[in-house]
Amino acid sequence: MDNATKRAYSLFAVIGGFTIGLLILIYSFIAHGSSWATNKANQHLYSNGTVSTFGDIYDRNDKALAVTVDGRRKYNSDSVIRKATLHAVGDLNGYISTGVQYTFRNTLAGYSPINGIASIVQYGKGNDVHLTLDAQVCRIAYNALNGRNGTVCAYNYYTGEILCMVSAPTYDPENKPTDIDNNPIYNGVYLNRAITGLYTPGSIFKVVTAVSAIENIPDINSRTYDCDGKYETSDGTVICNDIHNRVNFQQALNRSCNSAFADIALELGKSKLTETAKELGFNTKFSVNGVSDPSKSMFNVKKASKADLGWAGIGQYTTLVNPYHMMTIMGCIANDGIAVMPFLIDHIETPQGIKVPTKVSVSEDIHLAPATAKKIGEMLRSDITDYYGDGRFPNLQMCGKTGTAEIDDGQPHSWFVGYSQNQKTPYAIAVIVENGGTGLSAAAIIANTVMQAIK
Amino acid sequence: MTISEDKPFNWFPPLFLITLFQLISASFVVFDDGEFKYLTAATVMAYILVEWVYAIIASVAFEIRHLELELMGFFLSGIGIIICGSISESYAMKQGIAIGLGLIVYLIMLAILRRTDIVMKLRTPVAVCAVGILILNLVLAKTTNGTLNWIEIAGISIQPSEIVKIAFVFVGGATLDKLQMTKSITKYIIFAIACVGFLFLMRDFGTALVFFFTFVIIAFMRSGDIRTIALVCAIAVLGAAMVIFFKSTVAARFETYRHIWDDMYGKGMQQTRTLIYSASGGFFGLGIGKGMLKYTYAASTDLVFGMLCEEWGFIIAGTVVVTFAFFVYYAIKTARNTRSAFYAIVACAASGMLLFQMSLNVFGVTDLLPFTGVTLPFISRGGTSMLCSWGMLAFIKSADIHTYPKLSKTILPDHPLYPEDIPISFKRRRNVNG
Repeated sequence: MDNATKRAYSLFAVIGGFTIGLLILIYSFIAHGSSWATNKANQHLYSNGTVSTFGDIYDRNDKALAVTVDGRRKYNSDSVIRKATLHAVGDLNGYISTGVQYTFRNTLAGYSPINGIASIVQYGKGNDVHLTLDAQVCRIAYNALNGRNGTVCAYNYYTGEILCMVSAPTYDPENKPTDIDNNPIYNGVYLNRAITGLYTPGSIFKVVTAVSAIENIPDINSRTYDCDGKYETSDGTVICNDIHNRVNFQQALNRSCNSAFADIALELGKSKLTETAKELGFNTKFSVNGVSDPSKSMFNVKKASKADLGWAGIGQYTTLVNPYHMMTIMGCIANDGIAVMPFLIDHIETPQGIKVPTKVSVSEDIHLAPATAKKIGEMLRSDITDYYGDGRFPNLQMCGKTGTAEIDDGQPHSWFVGYSQNQKTPYAIAVIVENGGTGLSAAAIIANTVMQAIK
Repeated sequence: MTISEDKPFNWFPPLFLITLFQLISASFVVFDDGEFKYLTAATVMAYILVEWVYAIIASVAFEIRHLELELMGFFLSGIGIIICGSISESYAMKQGIAIGLGLIVYLIMLAILRRTDIVMKLRTPVAVCAVGILILNLVLAKTTNGTLNWIEIAGISIQPSEIVKIAFVFVGGATLDKLQMTKSITKYIIFAIACVGFLFLMRDFGTALVFFFTFVIIAFMRSGDIRTIALVCAIAVLGAAMVIFFKSTVAARFETYRHIWDDMYGKGMQQTRTLIYSASGGFFGLGIGKGMLKYTYAASTDLVFGMLCEEWGFIIAGTVVVTFAFFVYYAIKTARNTRSAFYAIVACAASGMLLFQMSLNVFGVTDLLPFTGVTLPFISRGGTSMLCSWGMLAFIKSADIHTYPKLSKTILPDHPLYPEDIPISFKRRRNVNG
């Protein structure tokens, strides 16, 4: 064997270099293929910058929300439904990054790494997406918001189907306002507040504090608290919304007594309260089918003083919550401590007519002991029956909690979170009306309107 | 030294499968849009006929039983014809003629390479001609697409640097005063610098890079001196970096590298479209002729890998690129058993060049490497590129001792390229069977 022969083996290094390149290329196709194939410059999918072959989007009753007709994207014929479902359906340019038209653009385009976009060339269109939403309920929810900003989301806590998800401000995708970028009324119009919104919880956070108390203070039910309109700590004061005099644990939640809950928060301490918050999914990022990257609710009392901890216990301080997350916590309580994750996509239908349903999953990040769920459920039911009045929610056997979240400027945000115990209407709901005033005066009314509509 | 037993290679089943593949893929093009495309059909049928005639004559009349290389060449070239046919009938016909010419070049080269005494006599004239062609090119060339590497003679566009590639390998293998001495490289280095230098002047950096890479292989095969090679590479990289740094026109060619999506309607147009449509094709492709990439500039030449991915699917596109790795593997295997070092060197250089150029093309259009505009050998539309591809194949083929089964009778044993200690122990199977 001569030298040239031996040296020929060095060419294996060239083959090696090529192989590495090929593997990187294959990896790039797997990692980026979907965004490449659905790029707007793809003439198979888009003509003149508009989608020509995207699949259709329907609500649960097969009402068309967005369809392709003659290469043009058309939305529902009712302008209110268009506005109400805008954030769930999304836009074609991806401004609404949580919308189905953006997050499921591969599916709508009919893209898969194996087949590319072959189904489009064969069938002329991509896959249809059927949502769990009820467009009519969304319409009613949007009207109930009555021009105010905020969000309404509701789901079936047994099955996980999201029936209502409305966010305002919104716009009509068929007539997109020309001043959308500079008119202040359209501030944050592309955000789906249900999914990416983060709000100060106010009193609805007392549910979390109460759960922590049930789990950690054995004789909590026999405790009483004296409220004189404020709660003094060594380094500051927590103000109460009223003078409640002597209340027990149940009454404290019913009347939303800040003094009692500040006292409970301080007794629990930072670590117990943080632990419960974590158990309920705070500081955790979810990834949910059809609902891309909801914002994570934040609870952090590491640097809190005593008064801060008191404020944190009643949902002020630095705590921020996500409406979608709060709705899921309600579902968790309603379903005996097991949170069925909400989802937006009911099924996907391929051009060949094959239906691919969403797999229902149970959250591992949000859970409660069944006994705890039962107890807090009773207390939430008592809120309605003993305090707000069952007549506000006829025939629903509603459980829930209002919140009035004080913010730095303007009217407080109005919250309502809750669920129906009625087996015929197994829905959990979260409503927030920005600058809407007290929880009872705005959000609770919308919650009832929407719950009655779902029924 | 032992020579492994010659395993019989039955070319019939693979050629049958290749023919079937070509007939099926051509049918997509020929019957597209409900009208029968006679010219394309005739071209493909003629091409298939040539494949079979070649295989039968080579195996029966010349007793060449190993046709792996030709079959790979036929497989790749056939895809090229059909891709051309999916764009225009005249493209298909021209490509068919180019492959015919390529085969003629292939056969002539095999005849020349058979006799190393002729090789030795030809090396100086070839080197002079090669440099002459490049000078002539530089003088006559018109500016095309930022490079000056095309000349037009009698209405036919020719890319002289493609032809010079053959000369480059030929001279590189043949410029031996004594076998494997470091100093014997000197002459070749001067020749190499001249070639690469002229290509730089033509602003054809892709081809210059291919030449440089081939030079490195030849220099290493000749000297085995890794330190010298490393030094040469370092100087070249430094030089290239300085050129890019000081010449803004050069830098402009590389500014889109890894930023193609920032300028997807401008300088990144070709590559972004390649990626968009390649991803659209998936594993099985959208169907031959059903693509959109073909409407992008230089689709059937520089971007042909994208067309393959989009219309033919990644499985076939991947098979195509892996075929080039097999050329190199074949050369390495063959180099164990050549009649002289000359053949080992040219086989390794030619196969390395094919693989490198293919990689530069495929990874260039997909933005893993800078986009230099070199062609995809055998597949890209273009006559001179096809001649070069088949010429390279001839180098690999000539190194295989099975190529010249009757050589022992005509060999010139006194020539320095045939050291007596290398036996030619090729055993003719025919004799075994009587």
